[in-house]
Amino acid sequence: MTAVVETEGLTKFYGTRRGLEDLTLDIRPGEVFGYLGPNGAGKTTTIRLLLDVIRPTSGRATVFGASTRDPRVRARIGYLPGELALEGGERARDYLRFLAGVRGGVSRSRIDDLAERLDADLSVRMGRLSKGNKQKVGLIQAFMHEPELLILDEPTSGLDPLVQQEFLAMVREARTAGRTILMSSHVLAEVEHVADRVGIVRAGRLVAVEDIAALRERAVRHVELHFDAPVPREDFEGLPGVRDVSVQGASLRCTIDGRPDALVKAAARHTVVHLVSAEPDLEEIFLTYYSEEEARHAHAGA
Amino acid sequence: MPTLVRKTLGEYRRALVGWTVGLCAFLGMYISIFASMMKDPDTFSKQAIAKYPGALRDLMGGMSDIATGTGYLQAIAYQLLGPLLFTMCAVILGNRALAAPEEAKTLELTLTLPIDRRRLLLERWTALALGLLGVALVTLVVAAGASSAAGMGVPFGRILAAHTGLFLLVLFFGTLTLCVGAAFGRRQIALAVAGVWGVAGYIVETMGRSVDAIAWLRWLTPVHYYLDGRPLYQGWPYGDYLVLLCATAVLLMTALLAFERRDVGV
Repeated sequence: MTAVVETEGLTKFYGTRRGLEDLTLDIRPGEVFGYLGPNGAGKTTTIRLLLDVIRPTSGRATVFGASTRDPRVRARIGYLPGELALEGGERARDYLRFLAGVRGGVSRSRIDDLAERLDADLSVRMGRLSKGNKQKVGLIQAFMHEPELLILDEPTSGLDPLVQQEFLAMVREARTAGRTILMSSHVLAEVEHVADRVGIVRAGRLVAVEDIAALRERAVRHVELHFDAPVPREDFEGLPGVRDVSVQGASLRCTIDGRPDALVKAAARHTVVHLVSAEPDLEEIFLTYYSEEEARHAHAGA
Repeated sequence: MPTLVRKTLGEYRRALVGWTVGLCAFLGMYISIFASMMKDPDTFSKQAIAKYPGALRDLMGGMSDIATGTGYLQAIAYQLLGPLLFTMCAVILGNRALAAPEEAKTLELTLTLPIDRRRLLLERWTALALGLLGVALVTLVVAAGASSAAGMGVPFGRILAAHTGLFLLVLFFGTLTLCVGAAFGRRQIALAVAGVWGVAGYIVETMGRSVDAIAWLRWLTPVHYYLDGRPLYQGWPYGDYLVLLCATAVLLMTALLAFERRDVGV
């Protein structure tokens, strides 16, 4: 299957300032791709290049196998800008109708359904929308024409937690319907529950592309075990993948890398009354990528 | 009507109504006082006019025949204030076509619609031209109506010729603003270019005609092609108007080429 988005050596300089350098990336059909990096890393630059708002300094990018310069490609994309600006005296509903009209038409009920799901009031004049409501209007316009590719730049910024959940549900539905999604964020937590793969970009360069499942496999987990009687610390020392062991009477705390198998087998020799395993902290791995990359650069520079 | 033209006209609606009302009030009021001024012939006697400094008279287009209907209409409506106000309207709307939405970041979403940039710009320009045409038509009716009511005795054909020139002049400045905005994406730059070219052009055309050193500069100002044919006196200056139209077309082509290769919103 051909990639939905394909870039090769995609580079963008703003004068002498590096926006993005040598990005080679494939986004496969039907996947949710999380595009991660701190602010100013080049996420928005990449997205704007894909939508032909800005033009590459060198390299190339295709969407659905066609050049990004072809305006017909954009009818198949739903786009939420990172800095969404809506202003003027026009009502949000009229603006959505205008956008829908240019993209080839969307039924009124589709817009109403989305507005209801996100709890957005479309009768408000755009200049008066709050930040959160602007973001909702932005999401509606991105999803309403059921595009084959959704490109969402920081989609959850400004949304309250309930609406964020609804948004994530919309993303999952879109994926179930076979659509492809590229969403950027500066925090992993925002995308880790929906993304299949994540790309990490830093200072204009793609530093890693990982499967979320593989990332989870390698994730660091904090585990707490409580026994019916005090346990000897030696029983848990030197187990593969288990570190930072601390025993206090009948309870044990440790950190495991990867599989918990060895720990479980060691604990089974005692009577376990309670077990707490925190969600794998992907953020931690995420940060090690950064520090490794940094160390590598520092090393190369030395 | 194409969607984007209709949408842009919708955005312009308030401004268009405001400027139309303002221009009509200006034209209606100043033209209608002609009758009362004629009752007191001293106001515009040769002696009274002679009191104005020569340069000021030049700036106002001579004023030698301001006591006649044609002269008064030229001095009041078509010489300085009329074109100045209408040009301001055109420049403001021209900026709202691309530069203002780019600065406000609303242009980004429009650009990601399945419309190529050329069509986007052409439709925005068409809306600008149609809007200005609408203002021109309403003000034409008011100018012609008021001057006939005031008994100026200027034939409608001449007013139509002068008003057409006014429309072509403001269309030029509106297109110029849009063009600079398309090339640089900044309202201030577009405003500065249009303002300087307009004001300097007017001064060169009116006062420069007697200064040999800068007389040749008159050929470079759109105001020259607007004023020089004296349509209110002599009828249609086809050649001059054609120059204005062609210059507008060149600006539009330039805008298309410049916008096509721009990074928007950077």
